[in-house]
Amino acid sequence: MIIERILIFLIFITGFIGLISMKNIIKKIIGLNLLSSSIVLLFILEASRIGDEAPFLDDKVQNIVDPIPQALMLTAIVIGVCVTALSLAMAVRLYKTTGSLDITIIKERLENDC
Amino acid sequence: MIVNNLFLTPVFLPILAASIILIAKSFLPVKARRFCEYLGIIIGLLLPIVIVLLLYPEVINNGSLSIIIGSYTPKIGILYNFDSLSLVMIVLTNLLTLPAWIYSRSAGPSHSYFTALLLLQSATIAGISMTCDIFNLFVCLEVMGLVAYVLIASKQEKSAVFAAFNYMMYSSSSMVFFLLGSFGLYRLTGSLTYQEITKTLVTLSAKEQNLALICLLLMIVPILLRVAIMPLSGWLINAHSKAPHAVSALLSGILIKIPLFILIRVFSISPMMQNLTLVLSYIGSATALIGVLLALSQSDAKKLLAYHSISQIGYIVTAWSLALHYGIDTTLGAVLLIAALFHAFSHAIFKGLLFLSIGTATDAAGNRDVYKIRGVNYMLRQKGEKFPLTMICFFFGALSIMAIPPFNGFFSKTLLTYYIKPSINYTILNIASIGTIASFIKLSRIFLPSKEMKKPIKELPTAKFPISIHLSLIILASLALLTGIFAKEILKLLENIFISTNLKSIKYSIFFSKSNILKTLYTGLVGIFLFIIATSKYGSKILHKLRSLKADFTDQYVAFAITIALLSWFLLV
Repeated sequence: MIIERILIFLIFITGFIGLISMKNIIKKIIGLNLLSSSIVLLFILEASRIGDEAPFLDDKVQNIVDPIPQALMLTAIVIGVCVTALSLAMAVRLYKTTGSLDITIIKERLENDC
Repeated sequence: MIVNNLFLTPVFLPILAASIILIAKSFLPVKARRFCEYLGIIIGLLLPIVIVLLLYPEVINNGSLSIIIGSYTPKIGILYNFDSLSLVMIVLTNLLTLPAWIYSRSAGPSHSYFTALLLLQSATIAGISMTCDIFNLFVCLEVMGLVAYVLIASKQEKSAVFAAFNYMMYSSSSMVFFLLGSFGLYRLTGSLTYQEITKTLVTLSAKEQNLALICLLLMIVPILLRVAIMPLSGWLINAHSKAPHAVSALLSGILIKIPLFILIRVFSISPMMQNLTLVLSYIGSATALIGVLLALSQSDAKKLLAYHSISQIGYIVTAWSLALHYGIDTTLGAVLLIAALFHAFSHAIFKGLLFLSIGTATDAAGNRDVYKIRGVNYMLRQKGEKFPLTMICFFFGALSIMAIPPFNGFFSKTLLTYYIKPSINYTILNIASIGTIASFIKLSRIFLPSKEMKKPIKELPTAKFPISIHLSLIILASLALLTGIFAKEILKLLENIFISTNLKSIKYSIFFSKSNILKTLYTGLVGIFLFIIATSKYGSKILHKLRSLKADFTDQYVAFAITIALLSWFLLV
């Protein structure tokens, strides 16, 4: 259990560093994705603490995982997809208008235009 | 469906209306689409107001109405709780979305997607104001954010997209921390609704309780980010100033305040959260002061207004956190909460008015630099405006924010400052209102006559000035005036809603007492003086330095980390 947590923490940190220090906006988006994936994994890991079968409420299946975190994470993944799609759309628009994916260059070019 | 469940309609009706509009957009001819848009606005914005107002007696009698969606057990289902706070917020949101929509018909993005997005936003705000479930709160906040990003980027301008992208990265990544916090609470207490968490928290050991407090803090800071108190407000300036004018009005008017009032419920989860209220009130006052200083230094008209939004939210946060400090069950706390709500309400009206009128003026001038634009009236007349209504409406809004009677800003600011009197916050807020006056004198200069104006207009303009702009401005301006004139009645109504005992405690004599009138007068005079200093040689040098301060993308995260560290120190030590 502890090894999994350390690995999840590493994913979290990787995502966070990617989000903050990368200049490329696509890499920033990937960082954001890693960040939210790590939380999803954390919830799923937590759910499997009490069992390891899929949560079908049937008499034959016992020792099931906690179904609530799984339901929550389904929603969180959907929201994550929306955020990714929207941010990629914006990245495309920014690239088309400024001709660069580097956040500092985009900022400079936008300021020069104004 | 039972009558009492009607309070869910503010969530479902706008979604229904938005889907009608989108279906009409895909399948129907143009005329029918227009009709469907109007129908959607009636169903999605006006009908919920009527329904919510019909439920008013129920709320007064029962305190609150609640329902678990889908009739699950409380442990699994999502609990929605409709109380007086949700009532006020839903009415406020829908009432102010309407003028913004009317304005957008001719000036802003007028396609059907825009109407559908506005309706979706109204639905999420209704959801946020009623939900009692942490995870549902997360979903509603994220959807509200997503709608806001799209609305900001809906202006076909490069910098608007960049502002939306920046806001999105910052707020989505902070929502990850919100999710982490809710994970911790679920892990510790095994439930997601506020009441259940409160019940279980008491039974935990001291160490676990501290852990739970940290989790709560991780949830609170992302919400405070949406509220844009000072270290966390880096995203707001570009997002609010680059957005289409109608969207700026909505963002500044409503979207930054709803999360704040939701926090009351999150704060009520643990009594230990009381430790934070005092420090938040100082942060609020500091926000008001720094915001107004930065506003004074701006040259871009809409950026100036955006900094004023930060400053005014500082006022609201101060009153709000002091209300929590005294406890909203006590009379003083309830009065402060009413003051915060009333100021939020009047700020929503006058800031909407200011954004719309300044937006119209800068569009006519074709430029947003306050130092360069002069004689806006002349330009507006060239666009076909026969009567200088835009200017009059701007001055209604400006006098409101400067707290001059009989406009609503005067009443809300007086009430707010009167009840926080013996503290240092009182002094700071009064200094901030001097700055407000100075910076609005600066902004009003764009209406000064210019040389060009003396020339007679050679040919009468053929273009008609769009009536929807005037209509929305008139609605907001008359609201600003009427809520000022009838301030007493509105406050009595709020008293009825929030103070259950018969002890009526707001002193109505404070508004026109001698000391208050004198205070307004002095503030005005010092404000004019400050304006003169600011336009002098040294003043403009300092302002130029302030203006050239720039925040980086990474700086926002530093601010985020500092806020979490600071607040957790106050919470635990």
